[in-house]
Amino acid sequence: MQPLADELAVGDMLRQNGVSRRRFIKYCTGVASAMALPPWMGPAMAQQLQNAPRPSVIYLSFQECTGCFESFTRSFSPTMESLIFNVISLDYDDTLMAAAGEQAESALAKAMHDNYGKYVLIIDGSVPTGAGGGYCTSGGKSAVDTLREAAQGAAAIVCVGTCSSFGGIPFADPNPTDAWPVSAIVANKPIINVSGCPPIPEVITGTLLQYVTTGKVPDLDEHLRPKAFFGTTIHDRCYRRSFYDQGKFAKTFDDEGARNGWCLYELGCKGPTTYNACATTKWNGGTSFPIESGHGCIGCSEPGFWDKGSLYSPLSATDWGKAGESSPRQVLELAAGGIVAGAALGVVSAGSGRLRQYRSEHPLDIDAEEG
Amino acid sequence: MSRLSEISVRIEAPTRLGGLGGGVAAVLSELVDMLEKVAHGGEAATIDLRSLPMSPEDRSALQSALGHGEVQATLRADGVSTLQETGISGLWWIEHRDARGELIAELLEVATTPAILAASTEDMVAASRALRSRLEVTHSAAARMTHATLS
Amino acid sequence: MDLLHFARGLGLQIAIAIFCLGVTWRIASFALLRIRREYSRPRESILKYMLGGLITVGSRSWPHREFIGRTGAGEALGYSYHLGLFAVVLLFTPHILFLQSLFGFGWRGLPSSVITILSVITLTLFLAVLFRRVTNKVMRLLSNFDDYFSWFITMLVMATGLAATAHVGGPYETLLALHILSVDVLLIWFPFGKLMHAFYIFPSRAINGALLARKGATS
Repeated sequence: MQPLADELAVGDMLRQNGVSRRRFIKYCTGVASAMALPPWMGPAMAQQLQNAPRPSVIYLSFQECTGCFESFTRSFSPTMESLIFNVISLDYDDTLMAAAGEQAESALAKAMHDNYGKYVLIIDGSVPTGAGGGYCTSGGKSAVDTLREAAQGAAAIVCVGTCSSFGGIPFADPNPTDAWPVSAIVANKPIINVSGCPPIPEVITGTLLQYVTTGKVPDLDEHLRPKAFFGTTIHDRCYRRSFYDQGKFAKTFDDEGARNGWCLYELGCKGPTTYNACATTKWNGGTSFPIESGHGCIGCSEPGFWDKGSLYSPLSATDWGKAGESSPRQVLELAAGGIVAGAALGVVSAGSGRLRQYRSEHPLDIDAEEG
Repeated sequence: MSRLSEISVRIEAPTRLGGLGGGVAAVLSELVDMLEKVAHGGEAATIDLRSLPMSPEDRSALQSALGHGEVQATLRADGVSTLQETGISGLWWIEHRDARGELIAELLEVATTPAILAASTEDMVAASRALRSRLEVTHSAAARMTHATLS
Repeated sequence: MDLLHFARGLGLQIAIAIFCLGVTWRIASFALLRIRREYSRPRESILKYMLGGLITVGSRSWPHREFIGRTGAGEALGYSYHLGLFAVVLLFTPHILFLQSLFGFGWRGLPSSVITILSVITLTLFLAVLFRRVTNKVMRLLSNFDDYFSWFITMLVMATGLAATAHVGGPYETLLALHILSVDVLLIWFPFGKLMHAFYIFPSRAINGALLARKGATS
């Protein structure tokens, strides 16, 4: 009798779905190349997965817009990315699953119980803690409680998107729901942050595949992002770099410079301080990325990017917090304040200077005084 | 009788690989070592061309320098992949493309045959089972027919 | 709050405030002093000697013929790096954008590659200047903390700026933060050291020139 789908090894699962070994090796080779892994890892990944039982993956969505999930599923070549769903056993995902209500919740509980200590927990969305966690609830339970419970049995946590990685838009000033990233709530578990608003589909699936096949967390940067995708800045790989170096900048959208494809620095491009794979891996299967389409990078994979000043003010401009870029008026006020205070101090200094002048010109008077 | 000097012969100088960018030339000497190892029974080795910073001129120079060999294989699995043996025996230039024709990986593999070409034993086992059951069906169908004819 | 955010935000605000405070204080503390009464008879009309003062502001910029031999090299060095600094600060597009965000207006810049060359030249001249100060016996004797620190902080601004544009020595945002932080420190130090010469030379030359002109002399 054919073993149940849940019990099939990955290789058998693929074969059942008509995916030949060659097709799978080719897919893994592509992923390894995209992740700049050594080329032998492609076939090694395929080999590893061949006999591996499909790891259980639980996908929990909290305070999110679902853009990250859309990116995840909105793969360019559906056959390739949908393989992920054959390679893993996606045991819970509230957007995709057919079950609802109590059936869905019991599926979650069962998946967590049956695979305790071994499942991969994918999170998108930030976690609100305000109002006792009441700003995001599902089935009567708050997101923060659900996260804490699910994290206990997870082998690793993959945060998809800037919201779960760094707090994202809910975390931005004034953060009315008291939202936090996953890493602020969960400790003692390996966390991989796949940030971006949203992240590139291939970055999500590539990271997931690498973790699932090697069982090891990939090399991470100080923000826990995989260095394979987040190791270089957009600026480092930007095809418009020569224009930056020459000082040829577009001044406004759709001006002469913009139409000639000049650097978008003056229009607020945050490429130099943003780490992501947009300039190399690009979007929509390598079609384009924001800069190539004429809009500066907004820095969406960086922590706190919503609060780092206007998206359209250049990196060298000031960044005075809430107001974003400073206004000449603010500068004037600051200068005026300084001048007034300086003048006051100057009066005091000049006063003592004048006293000295007087004393030096009337030495006899002083003697007489003291006399 | 024509003299040797009058026979039109064009001597083609071997393409100098040293004229390529430094990184490419270094990799090629690495490949030479790999070739020797594999020829003496060592494990196949692969280089990802994406990891080599090559200008378009370098790339076409490399392609023309390596040339074409005797074998070209086409793999149709979620898009077309071409595996071309270069003029260097045992050095294969592999281009993997997805269903839309986009290049997903480009490799130089040093091997007697590229590993991906070989049929996998698991696939063969599954295929043999499938073929056997198809034969049994044909067999029993034929047996029933004979039976029917006989009776 | 990360370093870059602080450097460009609160750090810069503090620096601007202290800069304005310090400059005003130092100028006021001499400008509000009583002008010592001149007892000698004026040889020229008021207008003439005030004009003399103004002329001196310009004429002091060129050394007297007799001294060119001895001071020429040092002066040329000084002028060169000043020009280099002004060009880099005022004609590099990211700087222009920064000033635009402060003052509300901008202007065209030079190609960035030209600015890089100018910065490298200026930095080299700066190192030459330190070398001269340290090797020349008289200068070494006269030099104090003010001299060395003013040199150091200006040099740091240039070096971090070059490192940031070249993306060398660390992640870009850290280099940029260090550059802006060193500008903040420069602004804070400015009113309290010899960098105030930027403001002092004008009244100093004018007053000296006017006083001498009043006596019928030139300087």
